[in-house]
Amino acid sequence: MGGYVAKRIGQALLVIWLAYTLVFLAVQALPNDPVTIFLNSDSAADPATIAQMKEYYGYDQPLVIQYFTQLLGLLRGDLGYSLSSGSDVTTRIGEVVGSTLVLAGSAFAAAVVLALALTAAATLARGAKLRSALLNLPPLMVSIPVFWLGLVLLQLLAVQLGVMSLFPDDSFMSLAVPIFVLAVHLSAPIAQVLIKSVQEVNAQPFIDVLRAKGASESWIFYRHTLKNAAPAALSIAGITIGTLLAGSVITETVFARAGLGQLILQSVTVQDIPLVQGLVLLTAVVFTAVNLVVDLVHPQLDPRIITARAGSPRALSA
Amino acid sequence: MRNSHLSLKVTALLAVLGLSLTACGTNNSAAPAADAAQNSGAPVEGGTFTYAEVTPINNWQTQAARFYEKANVLNSVLDRLTYFDAESGKLVGWIAKDFTANKDQTEFTFTIRDGVTFSDGSKLDAQAVKLNLDALGLGIKDAQIAPNVDFGAYKSAEVIGKDKVKVTLKRADANFLRSTSSVAAGLVSPKTLKLDNAGQSAISKIVGSGPFVFESEKPDEEVVFTSRDDYAWAPETAANQGDAYLDKLVIKYLPEVASRAGAAQSGQVDLVRGLQPVDEQVLSANGGQVFAAQGVDLTTNQAAVRIGSGKLADVKVRQALQVGIDRQAIKDTVLSDSYVLAGSILNHKAPGFVDLSADLAYNPEKAKQLLDEAGWKPGADGIREKDGKKLELTVSTSNNSVVIKPAFELIEQQWRELGVKLVNRAADNTFLANALVDDKIEFFGTRQFAYGGLGPVYAPANNTQTLNADEQLNKLFTKEQAATSEAEHLKLVGEEQRALVLDKALTLVLWDEVQVYGGSKNAHVEFTSGTAPIFQGAWKAEG
Repeated sequence: MGGYVAKRIGQALLVIWLAYTLVFLAVQALPNDPVTIFLNSDSAADPATIAQMKEYYGYDQPLVIQYFTQLLGLLRGDLGYSLSSGSDVTTRIGEVVGSTLVLAGSAFAAAVVLALALTAAATLARGAKLRSALLNLPPLMVSIPVFWLGLVLLQLLAVQLGVMSLFPDDSFMSLAVPIFVLAVHLSAPIAQVLIKSVQEVNAQPFIDVLRAKGASESWIFYRHTLKNAAPAALSIAGITIGTLLAGSVITETVFARAGLGQLILQSVTVQDIPLVQGLVLLTAVVFTAVNLVVDLVHPQLDPRIITARAGSPRALSA
Repeated sequence: MRNSHLSLKVTALLAVLGLSLTACGTNNSAAPAADAAQNSGAPVEGGTFTYAEVTPINNWQTQAARFYEKANVLNSVLDRLTYFDAESGKLVGWIAKDFTANKDQTEFTFTIRDGVTFSDGSKLDAQAVKLNLDALGLGIKDAQIAPNVDFGAYKSAEVIGKDKVKVTLKRADANFLRSTSSVAAGLVSPKTLKLDNAGQSAISKIVGSGPFVFESEKPDEEVVFTSRDDYAWAPETAANQGDAYLDKLVIKYLPEVASRAGAAQSGQVDLVRGLQPVDEQVLSANGGQVFAAQGVDLTTNQAAVRIGSGKLADVKVRQALQVGIDRQAIKDTVLSDSYVLAGSILNHKAPGFVDLSADLAYNPEKAKQLLDEAGWKPGADGIREKDGKKLELTVSTSNNSVVIKPAFELIEQQWRELGVKLVNRAADNTFLANALVDDKIEFFGTRQFAYGGLGPVYAPANNTQTLNADEQLNKLFTKEQAATSEAEHLKLVGEEQRALVLDKALTLVLWDEVQVYGGSKNAHVEFTSGTAPIFQGAWKAEG
């Protein structure tokens, strides 16, 4: 177990370092340095000013030096200077990260609950028609664009009925509605995979044995099926972090909320490359961290992952 | 298969439901239209005015206020030396109660108004003005603040006597006075000028002498300002010479364009910028108001021409494209009545505007003839060719304007009939980052602040419009900036427009710059020549 954990953590660090390097190289591939791009965003900039700012921010240094200076800064938690806001990238991200954590965290929790509820309902519901309707919900939910659902709810609740504000105002509705919008989209793939996996588990012989022993359907579902079906859904949940981030860009824009998604959009719009760099790196770290957690939780649910050697008959084909 | 049918039906049902909900917005409010605001009466004192900008702002540094989202707010926080009164077309006194220029347009003297203070209590006197002018003209090196581009000719300023400041320029600039009216030339407390870059960029630390004072902010969500009770130095022509009628001004953000009409309609904001043409009727039909603020201080919306790819090197091709645009069709299709079609590169109300609309009239036959004469002959696919090259042109713009992309989509169709292919990369900021400095991308769609002559926009060799310094034009700009009388100056500004639009056709002009705002039924507000709302004179009717 210890070796597995160390290996996974090492891999995660490697991924983050590679992501940093890739982003750094991608920035170099741009036709100009970040200062020139930023200053030229809508009107001509004075070459003397550009030169002076380049010097101040170190963009006039040789690449290797820039690479290691930035990497060193990174280790100290210094992500450089956001050109568009006149403050550190870290400060800028710090201002809004809380808002996104609340939104994304709650939306994720809500999505998991929603996916579990859907799966339970779709599996346990009496009547083929109802079950089939429920089974069709996840594809429908993933097909509804986040912005569309958000706009329709805003139009209905904020403009027509006047029961919520178009702006975040710390009220229950102004947080619950964006969470709901994001959760609907997010829960769909989790529910889809969970349902599929439950169906597969249900087709296995040991379920018939349980039934033959007189176990009730719900007891089988909660005590046996779900536990066996969970690992697949967990993997998907780890991947949905990307969807979560993309979704928060849209949700935060539609609901005029401060947050990382909104910040990503802004920084790309105004071509604030250091800020974009910081945000991409942060995304890579979050992505890697979540998947690391998933990797570490996985063996708890399914010990075969660690005990089985690769190639042995007990190893999971996945 | 049965399942997918069912899900299709449910999706369709939901889609219809959603659309009908959205459609409700257009007809369920029976309130009588915008009249509420017209039967104005006397301004009402007090109240909180909520204004929604399109995108959050983080850098509030004065010189960086060349973007609407900053200028629109700072206009009510920072005063300037002079004010451009769009109605009379004259520059009038503000913090400078009087201003004069020498005949050569190289020396300017401002007489500073008595009794003006910054919100921190310090005096806005001649010395404070001098420090501000130095910062604007020379930049602040320690704080990485670049000089204001309109102050390119600035050399120095000195305090004369008790209340006068004399500015000396390196070269003549007949547009210098007008550029002191720009929000980007706003005056801040000398203490603010001493802050580092982060300090001067933070709205909480910027101290001005304007009618509104910073109270609090939530990053990326809102900024709250309170009215300054002792404000008594509005521009000479302002209707309200005292402090603002409003108690509070709240700035919020609505990045989602689809929410803006609804926000004004429901009264959740009193004013919102960036209304789409399609929402204008919806809003006024539902009791809201539509304000079209004309950008007198800006060039028209245009496609600036770059000749680096060689395809537009021949002036005939550029002139062909100029008359190959059906501007009226653009207005009828993608714009609205709030938009005025361009008659030149300057706004209709700008001093020195010359009406070239007769020469800009849509004339596809002439366009084809000019293209033929230039040697571009239709190829097999209908696109013109010359020396094996196709007449395929690319346009790049930022996403700042809500109408620029559809406008170029229409031009793309119009040009297709002439045998010209337009690659439309409008509203793609990532593409623009490279295209802006690439003279092989033929068009840059934009509009720029132009306080008088067009020199600051088109003269520098690295100007982002044409990316090219045209010798003849530059001579004309220099001559215009050195004009010794107003009549001569206006005449030369007229010559610049003719040269840019017709003789050289280095800019394809489209429509006058306008910012369309949505207002709630109770909002009363007017706008500056730079399209900024004047919150000092704004008020809200009761009810």
